[in-house]
Amino acid sequence: MGAEDTSRRRFLQASGSTLGVAWVALHWPQVVEAAAHAHEAATGSVDHTFKLLTASQARDVEAIASQIVPGGATPGAREAGVVYFVDHVHAGVYERNAAAFLAGLTAFHEDFARRHPGVGRFADADASTQIAYLKAVEGTPFFGQMRFLTVLGLLSLPSYGGNGNKVGWKIVGFVDRHLWEPPFGHYDADYPGFEPYAKQRQS
Amino acid sequence: MSGRTFKPSDTVDFVVVGSGAAGGVMARELSRAGFDVLVLEQGPRFTAADFKHDELDYWFNNALLNSPESNPQTFRKTAQDKAERVHDFPSLWYARMVGGSSNHFTANYWRFHEVDFKERSLLGAIPGTSFADWPIDYAEMEPYYTKVEWDVGVSGLAGASPFDPPRSRPYPMPPLPVKSSGVLLERGARRLGLHPFPAPMAIASQPYRGRPGCAHCGFCIGFGCEMTAKSSTLFTTLPEAEATGRCEVRSESYVFRVDTNDRGRVTGVTYFDKERREHFQKARAVVLSANGAETARLLLMSANAKFPDGLANSSGLVGCNLMFNTYAETNAIFEHELNEYKSVQVTRVVHDFYDSDPKRGFYGGGGFDARIGPNPIAWSLFAPPPERAWGAEFKSLLEAMPRAMKVAVHGTSLALETNRVDLDPALKDAWGLPAMRVTYKDHPDDLAMGRFLQDRGVEVMQAAGAQQVWKGPLEESPGSPHLLGTCRMGNDPKTSVVDRFHRTHDIPNLFLCDGSSFVTSGRGQPTMTIQALAFRAADHIARFARSGEV
Repeated sequence: MGAEDTSRRRFLQASGSTLGVAWVALHWPQVVEAAAHAHEAATGSVDHTFKLLTASQARDVEAIASQIVPGGATPGAREAGVVYFVDHVHAGVYERNAAAFLAGLTAFHEDFARRHPGVGRFADADASTQIAYLKAVEGTPFFGQMRFLTVLGLLSLPSYGGNGNKVGWKIVGFVDRHLWEPPFGHYDADYPGFEPYAKQRQS
Repeated sequence: MSGRTFKPSDTVDFVVVGSGAAGGVMARELSRAGFDVLVLEQGPRFTAADFKHDELDYWFNNALLNSPESNPQTFRKTAQDKAERVHDFPSLWYARMVGGSSNHFTANYWRFHEVDFKERSLLGAIPGTSFADWPIDYAEMEPYYTKVEWDVGVSGLAGASPFDPPRSRPYPMPPLPVKSSGVLLERGARRLGLHPFPAPMAIASQPYRGRPGCAHCGFCIGFGCEMTAKSSTLFTTLPEAEATGRCEVRSESYVFRVDTNDRGRVTGVTYFDKERREHFQKARAVVLSANGAETARLLLMSANAKFPDGLANSSGLVGCNLMFNTYAETNAIFEHELNEYKSVQVTRVVHDFYDSDPKRGFYGGGGFDARIGPNPIAWSLFAPPPERAWGAEFKSLLEAMPRAMKVAVHGTSLALETNRVDLDPALKDAWGLPAMRVTYKDHPDDLAMGRFLQDRGVEVMQAAGAQQVWKGPLEESPGSPHLLGTCRMGNDPKTSVVDRFHRTHDIPNLFLCDGSSFVTSGRGQPTMTIQALAFRAADHIARFARSGEV
């Protein structure tokens, strides 16, 4: 069995049984192959090394992201490894933004330190101090950028460095199966069918 | 892949610039009519297997789009403002690839209604606007709407909407399976006495003309369809054009000039190939279907001594009257799971407010549909209200996403001469060509209509039993993928750019057919009408060519 066959079989298994594996394979071979490709792009190990951020910067980024999507009873941005995403994309697909991002991060740190002389870095502050400070700066471009990156790091393909163990997708209830059949949700499960209106134009 | 290869020294019957919704249809119809057709497309050619389910790359890295890096644009609200370069996301966006925006569209395929073509006569003038009737009517368009539904492939239920215009045939495929959002929209709307109906979609609900039915993967809007179920011209009309043996689709060929001779006739086009080498392609006639932004830009870039203001621009209206279609959203969360990330975007639509009603106090009308759209990242970024944009409240909203949907409202935009595409005087693109400058400010009636429909969306969601309902922001538009009106159709050369057959008033062998031909915006889903216009235009252009009138 070649790699292609293995890939196809793994995808079909992941797709569940309701659609009928044989039926899918018979009718949509190219579909299955393409969807398998999409499915497998979501897997892969996360590289837990920093390519751009210093350790201190990484701690601040992780702390900010953890206030944007907190953990607690269920995982949040920290558990999803958003900080690795932020680091990796600025050394990769968003490399063009890296200098501006680092400048924003530095300015964030300096402003926080100025306002909290006894604390040092944002990451060292207690939660209430962090939240109060973020409320004060939530209208700034840097906070907007951090929110944008946190959401991307939470929900983009794990191959970008975040969404570790698909934590982000679990938060939002997204299942990366890429192949579905009705019913899709609770409300369409017992839909009786479209009832025509009494007065309608004839075709 | 290609059925024919022409040399630049060949004089082809037609060069079609652009391979999207209109260009793809034009290519098939003209080649089937017996003409040699060369389609020149800016972007690359992908196969179905090239498409990915990568929301970051497609939605936030512009992988399929005209990139603000290589194809920059500037934007301003009025001519008095300084036009600023847009970053991260283009103001006017389109899929820059073979098949164009028919690859990444949502695939809502509403026909125009009869009223869309004659509103100026029905409602009277609107001061300060270019509000006008079309020179054609619905009856003339009906056979071509039917042709789109059958030849391109549209799923739907004929007669389901009591507001639908007359039709000569039913849809060729049944509607796509209803989603929970569609059920809830239908439930709420019916409780209010409205008339929701199954959405007509250019997505195969079952195997059709060699393509499989939809697999409900959920990666529709903004994505290419690896299933080939979405009825993009990449999978429909273009392969059929190539199968004639008379059509070549030449990708990565960026046309930057339409050339003319001393007699004021088009002689061909000049373009950059993939390696940025310049070529001149001779043609007996040229059809621009480059989209409602790029068609106007190309005409303006083609200015020469004989046509100093750009080609086909004796009216001065090339690029003017840009229209977007007003868009807004109402969000809702229900008790149980909807799982809207699955399947196509839209399964139910409401058209009860389609017509303009003077009693509302503003011009305009539209429709609304049920969706969540587009995908998890975009919903998380844009749907939450400002007070729940981060923190514990934000996370609780993210966790509610399986129970969320939105009512998306789509409507009219009034034509204003001041809203336009032209050439930025300073900024150049990666090829050294003038960048596109966009000037756009919504008419107050467009925003009023959007707010009106948003409020109807609130009522429908509340009637459906939503636990939470909130409206999205409705602000002046920074841009759109609906690129309409910039070379409007009309009988009077002083007030329009093309005639009722899409021939430019000024140059007999130059035709324009895409969203630029629109006179009014319709109610928000333009691609169906763009393709019907293309089928109709191709019929007439072929007739002219056969009779030596080109």
